[in-house]
Amino acid sequence: MKTTKNFYLARPVSGHLAPALTDSPIRGHRNAKIAVWNSADHAVPSGTFCCRHSGPLSEECSLPRSRTLGPVTERNALKSPNGQDFNRVLQATRTFHTEQPHLAPVPPLPEYGGKVRHGLIPEEFFQYLYPKTGVTGPYVLGTGLILYALSKEIYVITGETITGLAVIGLYIFGVKKFGPSVAAFADKLNEQKLAQLEEAKQASIKQIQDAVDMEKAQQALVQKRHYLFDVQRNNIALALEVTYRERLHRVYKEVKNRLDYHISVQNMMRRKEQEHMINWVEKHVVQSISAQQVLNIFDVLTLYLYL
Amino acid sequence: MASVVFFSHSSLSVPLKDKKLLEVKLGELPSWILMRDFSPSGIVGAFRRGYYRYYNKYINVKKGSIAGITMVLACYVVFNYTFSYKELKHERRRKYH
Repeated sequence: MKTTKNFYLARPVSGHLAPALTDSPIRGHRNAKIAVWNSADHAVPSGTFCCRHSGPLSEECSLPRSRTLGPVTERNALKSPNGQDFNRVLQATRTFHTEQPHLAPVPPLPEYGGKVRHGLIPEEFFQYLYPKTGVTGPYVLGTGLILYALSKEIYVITGETITGLAVIGLYIFGVKKFGPSVAAFADKLNEQKLAQLEEAKQASIKQIQDAVDMEKAQQALVQKRHYLFDVQRNNIALALEVTYRERLHRVYKEVKNRLDYHISVQNMMRRKEQEHMINWVEKHVVQSISAQQVLNIFDVLTLYLYL
Repeated sequence: MASVVFFSHSSLSVPLKDKKLLEVKLGELPSWILMRDFSPSGIVGAFRRGYYRYYNKYINVKKGSIAGITMVLACYVVFNYTFSYKELKHERRRKYH
């Protein structure tokens, strides 16, 4: 005999949420407008989901239920030993945070609803009666019930009956005639919504991809930084060289300036001395030439003239 | 609100209070009914559960059919009929059936 342990993960949730979450028919519909959060448990499957509309029908979203076929849990029956009220406690048969949350990723909406025969009676009823009564069972049952209701006048035939029949006839006619077109229209609306969402998703993906590519490009640029540094180094070296040469030239000019000064001073001194000496010599020579000598020279010159 | 874990060892079957209605044996039915939550929040919860059960099965699908609304309308018709049976009784064609 295999013993199965059922682990009940009880999580207190807010009151208005608790009832729907313990529902048993475990068809994994995952739409939830209301998030079931509590502070300690972030693996809750029902996050906030956006509402999906199936055609022109209802707008409300339901709360999620677990996909697992766990046993039905009763909220009220669980009271803690301390007498705490766990009426608002969600129980789910799930191991304690050891596996992935059931509704992540969120499963898609089912394609078709529950099968219904003649638009009125769910298929499950026919399947339920099939083993005992075969295919015609439910129909015989239906006929019998109708005849019973009529004969015992549980259903009373009044003027309303004709109205009812006319309305039902119109309804069936309308559905048969306009059903497919309305369905196509609703499907188109859905498709548009999906396309919008898809587009948003693609845009987001593209944006992120672009960001990633840009990041990669910039990372690649980092490898080429050494070019930049080389150029900068060269510039600095050039500037240093230029400054050095400039200053060297200036030094040279200054020194030359000083030396030229000394040379020009010397030249000037020499010239001055020469002139001065020449003047002095001339002056003394002129002074030394007495009058007598001047007459002597004149005599000599006249002799020369006569010669 | 802290999360609380309760371990329940069941050897062969599920405890009675966790069974669905269709799994409950006939003898256990009274005790099962008594175990249900009949407080106001419990009743509201039951309605809510029922609503969402129907909604998720027939309406909240990609390609819902007309049966989703038709069943609701049919039940509404029957419901109103039962409430107006008291007046309709007088329009019967025969007194004794």
